Amino acid sequence: MLPRAQPGAVRRARLLSSLDGDNVTALTLVDAPVGYGKTMLLRSWCTEQSGPVAWITVDEADADPVRLWTYVASAVDRVSEGVGRPALMRLAVPGGAVELAVDQLLNGLHSHAQPLAIVLDDLHLLGGEASFRSFEHLVERLPDGVRVLAATRSDPPIRLARLRARRALSEIRARELAFTLDEARELLVRHERIDLADEHVELLVQRTEGWPAGLYLAALWLRDLADPGEGVRAFAGSHRQVADYLAGEVLESLGTETKDFLVRTSVLGRLTPELCDAVLDREDSAAVLSELKRSNVFIVALDGRGEWYRYHHLFAQLLRLELTETGLAEPAALHRRAAAWYRGRRLVEDAIEHAAAAGDEATVAEMLAEHAVDLFRSGRVEMFLSRMKRLPLEILIEQPSLPAFGVLAAGQLGRPAVELQQLLSVAERARRERPASWAPLHEAIVEVTRVAFIERDVGVAVEHARRAVAAAQADPENTVAVAALASLSNALFFAGDLAQARSVALEAVERPEAPERPVGYIAALGLLAAIDAEEGRTASAVGWARHAISCAHETGQADLWPVALAHLGLASALARTGDLAEADREATRGERLRRTPQPTGAHAHALIVLAEVRAARSLLTRAAGDLERAQAMIAELPDPGRLPALAATVERLLAHAPARPQQRPIEEPSEGELAVLRYLATDLSQREIGARLYVSLNTVKTHTRELYRKLDVHSRSEAVTRAKTLGLLDSRKSPG
Amino acid sequence: MDRRYYRIVVEGEIGPRYAAAFEGMEICAANGETEITGPIVDQSHLHGLLGRIADLGLTLRSVSQLNTDP
Repeated sequence: MLPRAQPGAVRRARLLSSLDGDNVTALTLVDAPVGYGKTMLLRSWCTEQSGPVAWITVDEADADPVRLWTYVASAVDRVSEGVGRPALMRLAVPGGAVELAVDQLLNGLHSHAQPLAIVLDDLHLLGGEASFRSFEHLVERLPDGVRVLAATRSDPPIRLARLRARRALSEIRARELAFTLDEARELLVRHERIDLADEHVELLVQRTEGWPAGLYLAALWLRDLADPGEGVRAFAGSHRQVADYLAGEVLESLGTETKDFLVRTSVLGRLTPELCDAVLDREDSAAVLSELKRSNVFIVALDGRGEWYRYHHLFAQLLRLELTETGLAEPAALHRRAAAWYRGRRLVEDAIEHAAAAGDEATVAEMLAEHAVDLFRSGRVEMFLSRMKRLPLEILIEQPSLPAFGVLAAGQLGRPAVELQQLLSVAERARRERPASWAPLHEAIVEVTRVAFIERDVGVAVEHARRAVAAAQADPENTVAVAALASLSNALFFAGDLAQARSVALEAVERPEAPERPVGYIAALGLLAAIDAEEGRTASAVGWARHAISCAHETGQADLWPVALAHLGLASALARTGDLAEADREATRGERLRRTPQPTGAHAHALIVLAEVRAARSLLTRAAGDLERAQAMIAELPDPGRLPALAATVERLLAHAPARPQQRPIEEPSEGELAVLRYLATDLSQREIGARLYVSLNTVKTHTRELYRKLDVHSRSEAVTRAKTLGLLDSRKSPG
Repeated sequence: MDRRYYRIVVEGEIGPRYAAAFEGMEICAANGETEITGPIVDQSHLHGLLGRIADLGLTLRSVSQLNTDP
């Protein structure tokens, strides 16, 4: 929601017109230290726009790119309905690259083809490399008419020089944001009606160096002073730091009750009257807040309804210092009450943040455990993991769902194996030491994670998957039953028990809740497709695969790993029906979705399918290359199950593959190679061929190797057959 | 790692309210500037302190590492 313009603020006409100059750039940075009126400038710019504006206030928690883009896509969707929806759906699914969601948003913006401004306030609070990388990804690809404006205290770590060189960046920095003499006069004399002579205004601008926060503080202080001119002279004559001096004067001039309210609520970050009432144990916060809003500029409305506010950042800092200095209240106690209020309203993340600020680890743990499933379903996996990891070991063992979901989070986020193992050992300790609170759900989650992300031994994976299924079915909520069945079916598929793999996958897709569990559902459908294709039930395989793929599209998972097997199954089925070009496209897609940094059986399997399809297309060199990569991966797996057998089948297929008659080799053999080729059709040995041609044995070998490569063959007889079909062995040219 | 001493100079003389923000550091305000001197454990500590300075709207003049304990 777009915040309203500040009632007590001066319109910065000079800056507003520079924001709408002739050369509007993709990115506009309003880049200056605290108190330079960045937010105020953007807010007043927004209120003067006729087109839609999506406003996002970044906060510390947005180091998690999923949260950042969820906010951005929601804000865009609110002002341009439907544009952010595909990105939001993508973001709701764990485990995808966030750039893919940004691409969805860009697609939406492109096809919407309407002007739009996206404003990011407090961009400097964005943390984490991934967030900035995705931000840069967006800025560099914005369609015409869409612009991003960002307020920040420091230059964002993106390639600004490159954007400048492309004329895609404009900047409004401290020098431009500082008040000129005229602007200061407008604020103090015309707006606040303070009786000040020009020389006093000049003194103030000099002393504050035009720093807007300093001038606003001065206005608050001077407007209640009997002789403002005298006040200005005293300020100008002092060496005190500007904000320190002025804030002291302003706080001094406030009534005790107002000051008390401000100081105590300074820990809250965001404020709403009910929250203030709950934290301060009073009932009139609404009146206090609206009075504050009317009389000063240090409170900022966060929405258009007057429900949520925040203090100006600098002012909040000063108030917090005052709280420490005066000991008016215990900050931890205030945070604890705020946490309870948020918790009562099921605003889980805010409650967790305040509980953490209060140092209340027990509450943080309790809330993370209570809301783990919801946090995962809403894509807050990274936040869950980072909060969970800050808790002490004893608490993690008391709350077994924390390490259990922690293992799953680390797996989904692709964290290093060491981290997964560490979390796994904490989970195992919890299971051992607190068997009573170790629920079937925890067991199921840990086992599913092991099968999906940790275990590379097929036989062991089947055992773990069986345990996952048993545990998941004992969980009354059936949270992970579909996923557990899918993982068992997957393990059986790789172990080679296709009949059982099929019946387990059927059980998964037939569960009533299956369509509401898209990750497991799509994976199980993919398994059915792959198995039916392999066993020759082509039509049925195509049906399963198409259903899986359409489900993946509907749930924003079209580019994520669960749907990979559906594409591979479809590829095998299409290859059988002779639709080879389409089969190649599907296999390529499936293989791409199976790629991971480390070799996996699933990726090796995808490469085997790809090799098989390419062999059927007579793309023998490429097929051999795919197969070779698959075999290299298989060699690294402790127990690759039936993968070696699958690879061997394709290898035999390749050895007996007929050359494609019409196709000419891409590279013509050289004269020397053609000479050798003519003798290959005879039964002369390579040495004898060398003797006939007056070349060394090595040369014959080199020519032969080159011929095999160019003809895409692996043996002498294949080379001759292929050369004949290509017309390279014209009988007139035969030797002898 | 041994902690090192740093001297950070900001514009303006800060009073006790601001000084409370730099717990554990020695504050010396004179001649229109303030020196904040003290032991810094590591780079994260130093960057945290510089962030604090930015949050409080203080203008940074210099940051230097001292050769010896003050």
